Amino acid sequence: MTAFASSKDLDAYREKVVKSRPKGRREIAVCAGTGCKAFGSFRLLDAFRDELAVQGLDKKIVLRPTGCHGFCERGPLVLFFPEETLYQRVKPADVKEIVERTVKKGEVLERLLVEDPATGKKFRTEKEVPFYKHQRRLVLKNNGLINPNTIDDYIAIGGYSALAKALMMGPEAVLAEVKKADLRGRGGAGFPAGKKWEVCRSQPGDTKYIVCNADEGDPGAFMDRSVIEGNPHSVIEGMIIGAFAMGAHEGFVYVRQEYPLAVERLVLALLHAREHGLLGKGILGSGFAFDIKVKRGGGAFVCGEESALIASIEGRRGVPRRRPPYPAVSGLWGKPTNINNVETWANVPLIVGNGADWFRGIGTDGSKGTKIFSLVGKVNNTGLVEVPMGMTLREVIFDIGGGIPKGKKFKAVQTGGPSGGCLPESKLDIPVDFDTLVREGAMMGSGGMIVMDENTCMLDVARYFLGFLKSESCGNCTSCRDGLMRLHALVADICEGRGTEQKLALVEELAATVKASSLCALGGTSVNPVQSTIRHFRDEYMAHIRDRKCPAHVCKALITYSVNEKCNGCHVCARQCPQKCIAGEMKGMHTIDQQKCIKCGICNDVCRFDSISVA
Amino acid sequence: MSIRLTIDDVEVKAEPGEYVLAVARREGFAIPSLCHHESVAPIGACRVCLVQVTFGGKTTLSTSCNMLAEEGLQVVTDTPEVRAHRAMNLELLLARAPGSARVREMARQYGVTRTRFPQVAESALANCILCELCMRVCSRLGHDALSAIGRGDKKRIGPPFGTPSERCVGCASCRSVCPTACVFVRDTATSRTIWGKTFEFVLCKNCGAPVLTREHRQHALAHAGLPEDYYDVCEPCKQADAAGRFANVVW
Amino acid sequence: MSVNPANRPTPPDASQTSSGDALRVLAGISGRVPAGAARTGSGGGMLTVIPRNCVGCRTCELTCSFVHSTHGRLARSRIKVREVGEKRFVQMTCLQCVEAACVAVCPVEALARNEATGAIEVHEGRCVGCSLCEKACPFGHMRFDPEAGLAVKCDLCKGEPMCARFCPNKALEVR
Repeated sequence: MTAFASSKDLDAYREKVVKSRPKGRREIAVCAGTGCKAFGSFRLLDAFRDELAVQGLDKKIVLRPTGCHGFCERGPLVLFFPEETLYQRVKPADVKEIVERTVKKGEVLERLLVEDPATGKKFRTEKEVPFYKHQRRLVLKNNGLINPNTIDDYIAIGGYSALAKALMMGPEAVLAEVKKADLRGRGGAGFPAGKKWEVCRSQPGDTKYIVCNADEGDPGAFMDRSVIEGNPHSVIEGMIIGAFAMGAHEGFVYVRQEYPLAVERLVLALLHAREHGLLGKGILGSGFAFDIKVKRGGGAFVCGEESALIASIEGRRGVPRRRPPYPAVSGLWGKPTNINNVETWANVPLIVGNGADWFRGIGTDGSKGTKIFSLVGKVNNTGLVEVPMGMTLREVIFDIGGGIPKGKKFKAVQTGGPSGGCLPESKLDIPVDFDTLVREGAMMGSGGMIVMDENTCMLDVARYFLGFLKSESCGNCTSCRDGLMRLHALVADICEGRGTEQKLALVEELAATVKASSLCALGGTSVNPVQSTIRHFRDEYMAHIRDRKCPAHVCKALITYSVNEKCNGCHVCARQCPQKCIAGEMKGMHTIDQQKCIKCGICNDVCRFDSISVA
Repeated sequence: MSIRLTIDDVEVKAEPGEYVLAVARREGFAIPSLCHHESVAPIGACRVCLVQVTFGGKTTLSTSCNMLAEEGLQVVTDTPEVRAHRAMNLELLLARAPGSARVREMARQYGVTRTRFPQVAESALANCILCELCMRVCSRLGHDALSAIGRGDKKRIGPPFGTPSERCVGCASCRSVCPTACVFVRDTATSRTIWGKTFEFVLCKNCGAPVLTREHRQHALAHAGLPEDYYDVCEPCKQADAAGRFANVVW
Repeated sequence: MSVNPANRPTPPDASQTSSGDALRVLAGISGRVPAGAARTGSGGGMLTVIPRNCVGCRTCELTCSFVHSTHGRLARSRIKVREVGEKRFVQMTCLQCVEAACVAVCPVEALARNEATGAIEVHEGRCVGCSLCEKACPFGHMRFDPEAGLAVKCDLCKGEPMCARFCPNKALEVR
């Protein structure tokens, strides 16, 4: 493989690749992201490969493993080109029929199409599916189209042309463009990236570093993983452009070892970029030298905090330090260091390629561009969604997410991961942007969005996040380490029926100290879940404390299971009860021995006559 | 170049790189702290040295030990908010170190005489407040025999991997700097046991009293450049010997 | 800082003849104390030990203990009266050596000379309590306070040595 000696070489190469791929060529794109992999998409790929070989079509039809399409709820997903037919939940057993009918004859298999759970309507292409229809996919756009394991696919769709453009523009102009675009960091706080770049660029000295923060640790969030898995070159291109603008010659991607597929694809992509002269000395024949190393993290949540991340890359314990000095002034090994998150870097080639004005045309006044959310929890369409800033929570959850399953009632949405807050139904119409969410006591965070329905106990939610954070705090500050430990115990007390109003008051008092007196953002935002649930769901706390009741029927200590008059004595519950504490004659009314009941809820799950009451 | 800032409305000067706590103490302002020591870098662990700071129009709370003095910074060492958060942090620490007279006294000064939290049950080291002073001083002395293990509420301090460290020399500086006196050292006539490791003492050539551990002597010889026989005799014997020789000269 | 072994503070040379002048004895003892090194602030003189005048009353020890702590415990005194024969005493106190072993051995630069008084002082904020200074002093003058975890030594009372002021027999003087 020869390295490109100039941007002309790159253009020529692109032309060659595109020419070798005639328009309308038949292709099968199988999602090979981690979500679909868990559903067996690698086995599905093998099945397609075998079947195509058997049918003698392996030379004629391109089989492409791609990155995450986002609609993880319905994985494994398969796309057929040029018709753009989308099949969901495809199993290896379906492959023979698919090749026979869809690939060879162009027929559509109705049963594999995405169906609207409410109306039963079927959608043939991505564009028709409501999940995709309301999105604006910029960063994720190419995830389902390209094979992340080859650089040719990325180059074919125009990849690295933004880099070539940036090298022509010069570092000042690139910086000006990013500043003009008002790109705000996608990692959580939303700090203007251009401003950070400018500070880093203006620091004296030749040694500067740039870092890609891929230490995505929020429970339920996986957008950074999917971007790296699906389109690693977009992140690499963004980093090269950033390094060029700031005058850095060495970069790091800090990625957690729990993301093996992302690490594998990233390392491969770096290798390919290096082979093509896109990394290393004299990038695209310019005088600019830059290379990227991958640093694997051990999966500590706190290492996503930039000063802890720096400590971890340096080989020290991942503990945040006080800022200032900010990393842009004194970061890795005391040198100016610019840290941006995966999604931020992936936006950079789009801004440089399409211009700042184009980017500014998307989003709101304060927040430009799009944001990827991982929409999870009690919502019909879980998966990755990319929407323009400013879309309302209602649109995201109901139009894209398809609402709450089983016709249940929406209760709250938690945005921003463990450091975010819970917003109730009354806040559904607020626009999703950096400033509004913070104002409402939640935050954008890296983009987790957990939907909760009426069966979710808000105290249980607060307890869950406090439990996560008390384990993931680095343990440095008294207020965060001991404060979270105590808050968790107090909320658990309330959940388990030992709550008092004094304990609730202590929770509020302690939460204020944790927020005000902890060193880093983890501690400072760690009490958002408990504070926001108290703020919006105080009644539910009081129900636990005063009435010793859990309105959502979640907290085991506060609920009882009993058999009501609808019981027809089928005895199914008694047979399934692990405690054997349900007694009753066949065809006679049953009773539950409350002393022995462990409140597992299995009786309620198995009863087909709605005869188990929960109170 | 000198920086000007105000502490409780008094203008004071500081050198670039100086921390607010150091400046305040030098100028006679009282700020309590537990995890601070001048010989090691501050980490802001105990959160007791909180002060109110105003800089660039923004007023926040910050620990003073690890906050650099800045031109125009306004520091207030005592506000109701500062007191409330110091008190809560001390209440949390009191539940960790009920046996520490220093923590009890400091808490008492903030009106905290009892803690509303149950005592930390399974603490690896009773009364340890996890300030890492022992560990930081150990690193500063070049031993690196202590480490923080685990994170969050599972964090504890001890030799790496919880096994006796090869690098510990038994100098017991960790005990000297511990603010809650929780480092346990057992000395006998001939040996010292600390952090699960037992050391033999170098015994005084004259009287047989313990002088220092062999490993500590080795380390001192390697780093201080003093003659070997300096560590052979205990202090009282050295003094008695010197006194005898002085007497010979005088009389 | 390190001490050149050839230059190390040494115990007195027994062959050195004495004129009985205590001041010179002190200088001779350390071998490294030039006139003025252990000078005191106000008078500009040196703390001078005159063992022949000492009757062993230990007022100096008591004074030192009171001045440097509120407890007045004799064991904490930085000056020590040693009996060296029948009714013969020598008051042992820090010589404030020029190339001092305690300063050389301190790993955290907690011992430094106060240029105003000439005394080597312990900077308590910096001391980590490793006790090496105590072990290294060739005359046994350093103390380590295990309760406070700090090194303890004569600081010439910031220029006004109280032991000299309260000595009833002119066995300690500032000259």
